[in-house]
Amino acid sequence: MNEPPKEPVKYVETTLHLPYHYVAGDYRAVQLRAFKDKKIIGSRCSKTGKVFIPPILNSPESFAPAEEFVEVADRGVVTTFCVVNIPVIGRSLEIPYVAASVALDGADISIFALIQECKAEDVRMGMRVEAVWKPDGERQGSHEDILHFRPTGEPDAPQEFYINRL
Amino acid sequence: MTKLRNVAIVGFAQLPIVARDEHRMSSEMLYPAVREALAQVGVERDAIDYQISASTDYMDGRPFGFVSALDVMGSWPPRQDLHLEMDGTFAAYYAWIRMQADECDTAIVCGHGKTSEGEPDRVLGLQLDPYYQAALGLDATSTAALQASAYMARTGATDADLAAIAARNRSAGTKNPDAQVREAASAAGLQMSPWAVEPLRRGYVPPIGESATCLVLAAEGKAEKLCDKPVWIHGVDHRTEMQTLGARDLSRSASARFAAGKACAMAGIAGASAVDLAELHATNPAAELILCEALGLDPKAAKPAINPSGGAICGDPIMSTGLIRLGEVFRQLSGRAKDRAVAGAKKAIAHGTQGHALQHNIVWVLGSERRWS
Repeated sequence: MNEPPKEPVKYVETTLHLPYHYVAGDYRAVQLRAFKDKKIIGSRCSKTGKVFIPPILNSPESFAPAEEFVEVADRGVVTTFCVVNIPVIGRSLEIPYVAASVALDGADISIFALIQECKAEDVRMGMRVEAVWKPDGERQGSHEDILHFRPTGEPDAPQEFYINRL
Repeated sequence: MTKLRNVAIVGFAQLPIVARDEHRMSSEMLYPAVREALAQVGVERDAIDYQISASTDYMDGRPFGFVSALDVMGSWPPRQDLHLEMDGTFAAYYAWIRMQADECDTAIVCGHGKTSEGEPDRVLGLQLDPYYQAALGLDATSTAALQASAYMARTGATDADLAAIAARNRSAGTKNPDAQVREAASAAGLQMSPWAVEPLRRGYVPPIGESATCLVLAAEGKAEKLCDKPVWIHGVDHRTEMQTLGARDLSRSASARFAAGKACAMAGIAGASAVDLAELHATNPAAELILCEALGLDPKAAKPAINPSGGAICGDPIMSTGLIRLGEVFRQLSGRAKDRAVAGAKKAIAHGTQGHALQHNIVWVLGSERRWS
């Protein structure tokens, strides 16, 4: 223990442990609770009427309050996406898989979503997708309540439908 | 002293300091502070040229958490922005510099952070060097205690002296609705409280607290239109010292002394004792005594009044604590200090600090009249 190191010390390892206990915030808490009922909640800007997901206190764009909660659909359109070919630590997904931005029907900005139940090369901008929820009784009120999104098979949306909601 | 551009504080909003806001994220706490500050000066966001926020992602535990502050600062359409991983008082200094360079006329300066969501002692420990000091598990309360011990050994100050300072702050804090600790406490009572880290007792240090703050700065020409009683910046200077605790005399604050000397020279006053009140960013009584010595203030004298707000001992929302000192001086010199007003106050000092054991210090001199004509 008291022996000096035989090799020159080139680095030291210092492990950080920083625990956190987050407050979700009243706005996001509304959204999380609604996941239990398979509902997706956003909030509407009092000035422009734009709907944000997740619900937020104010519109970053107009700076006006966005305090009115509104339900949006659990389906929407792929606005942009990427094919992931690198495994991510802590995620046991089979690669390649698709991470996409999805504009839910009724929302003015998109959310990040995992696309499954189709081949990566089949995913495209404008593709209609829907949420696949955990079964009843298993939803905890967390983002994991939505397992992933999958294609609905409906016709693709035209570009003008989603171009301002990327 | 070269003639500089007159810049004033024209608005200040602060959420009352609380132990933990269970209902709002950091950015959600900041939004009402920004709205209130803008309402005070009667403008919309597009009247502000420049914005700067002060926060640390390690405190919130959210990578790029400072970016979410952009959403609540009225950042659209785009304007100049800066983020500083330091107390908001240093952010105010950056804004002042930009105004001196004629790059903007108006600015908002925000401090925010959910101190309660992480463990501030662990987070602040990371400011120390990772090989020797941080690896010991040193935290900010412990390094403050080392400093207090060094001061007491050099000067002979006693536990009772520390208790008296804490009690004076606690008494003042009863009149500050934004303070977190608002119950008065006697020196004798505080001396009975257990050690936080010897020689600092729990009654001498603030509890964990959080807030959000927004200060509005404006240059001459704009300032008078935004505020009936602008509070003008007469002088400012900041100095830093070595990070290694053993490499400096912890019992003194050389950087605070230098900064005060330079700021007073810029302000055209003989010394800090020439002002009517001083708000010192001291999170324990020994730090306050060290700062008083460095600035040439008598901690027992009636003038200048020290910490009429109750000081940082009555509330320490990290990243905002120093900015609140500036905000308190604004309230005092613009007739907004209500029950805690220092009668007839015309000039004041606002001090801020960053780092362990008063490593980095900024001293502002402010007045109710313009500095340069």
